[in-house]
Amino acid sequence: MTESREQRASQIPRDAANWATQTDAVRLSAVPTGARNLNVEGKQAVGPLQGFGPMWQKTYRVRLQGSDATPKDVIAAWKENFPKFWPPGNTFYAPLTGIAPGEAALINSSLPGGMPLSTGVMVLYADDESFTLMTTQGHPFSGWVTFSATVESEGGMTCTVAQAQVLMRANDPLYAVGMRFGGHKQEDRIWEWTLASVAKHFGVEAQVDTNCQCVDRRPQWRRAGNIWYNAGIRSGMYVMTTPVRFVARPFSRPRTGA
Amino acid sequence: MANEPLEVTVRRLPALTVLDLEGEINGLAESRLNHAYADAEGAGPRTVLLNFSGVDYINSTGIALIVSLLGRARASGRELRACGLSEHYVEIFNITRLADFMSVFPNEEAAVSEAALGAG
Repeated sequence: MTESREQRASQIPRDAANWATQTDAVRLSAVPTGARNLNVEGKQAVGPLQGFGPMWQKTYRVRLQGSDATPKDVIAAWKENFPKFWPPGNTFYAPLTGIAPGEAALINSSLPGGMPLSTGVMVLYADDESFTLMTTQGHPFSGWVTFSATVESEGGMTCTVAQAQVLMRANDPLYAVGMRFGGHKQEDRIWEWTLASVAKHFGVEAQVDTNCQCVDRRPQWRRAGNIWYNAGIRSGMYVMTTPVRFVARPFSRPRTGA
Repeated sequence: MANEPLEVTVRRLPALTVLDLEGEINGLAESRLNHAYADAEGAGPRTVLLNFSGVDYINSTGIALIVSLLGRARASGRELRACGLSEHYVEIFNITRLADFMSVFPNEEAAVSEAALGAG
């Protein structure tokens, strides 16, 4: 028998602990040693609806044929080794408390052309068989990346399939141009590498299947102002002004506690 | 815990088309939800209402499915609305900022009367 809406509302939803709680701004619980902490603290987490460019849904999948890993095994290993599965040149500083709802992580990377990029993500959702990262304002894209694992059958054989699905819009007009000229390819490389690394972790050498679909071609012009938060521009300015900060350091007043 | 597969029924009303959703919205719901939405679009309604009163579980993949429906609706100039969400999922719609793009009504009657006013 179906429960009434009132009955359902009175129960604690079984996924309540899996979601981040509502917050106005992203907060880092700690900054890992060596991480460049820019463009994350105090910024909002943004989804595919808040971006500027066309909306894309990109799905990357790898079949773990021959491995007896369950979806729970895959997600547990993925959460634990997330930074290790990333391609060289991109550093993901996982939250010290692990990938858990509401936690934020720093990303130090570079844009096509070599411009440094400091940005981050917030863990929107996490359970035993999936987790979702939500980007912060200023990230090249505004969106979610959901990592999941399921058991699938093909030709009478079952195997676990690991998947990363990105639902995104380029965050601002500059990034939208960048996505056309190398940004999408760079992003595909990151997730294809990641999926191949997950497969290797379970002893499987397999081809990653990539499927990209444009869900909405029209840009959201009212979001053009997102460029104010562009983490590429801000990170570049930060790097360029490093000598000035170095010279000024002896003259700056020491920070006092609140 | 056993999954309750999503069942979708399409109902056409004068002011809008309703998708009655029952079960769980997760990755396994993708095909059914997309087919039902394509069916709903067939009659060319200006507004499509997602009725969540029979839904007791939505995970992040399910939310992403709803977002992609929003993208499709926007691409074809349609409005997507939601009704019947539990308090918990109203909060999730706020956290994910879906509520910024989708009018959320407490029940079907409220959503239909709003649509009727808009059409009038």
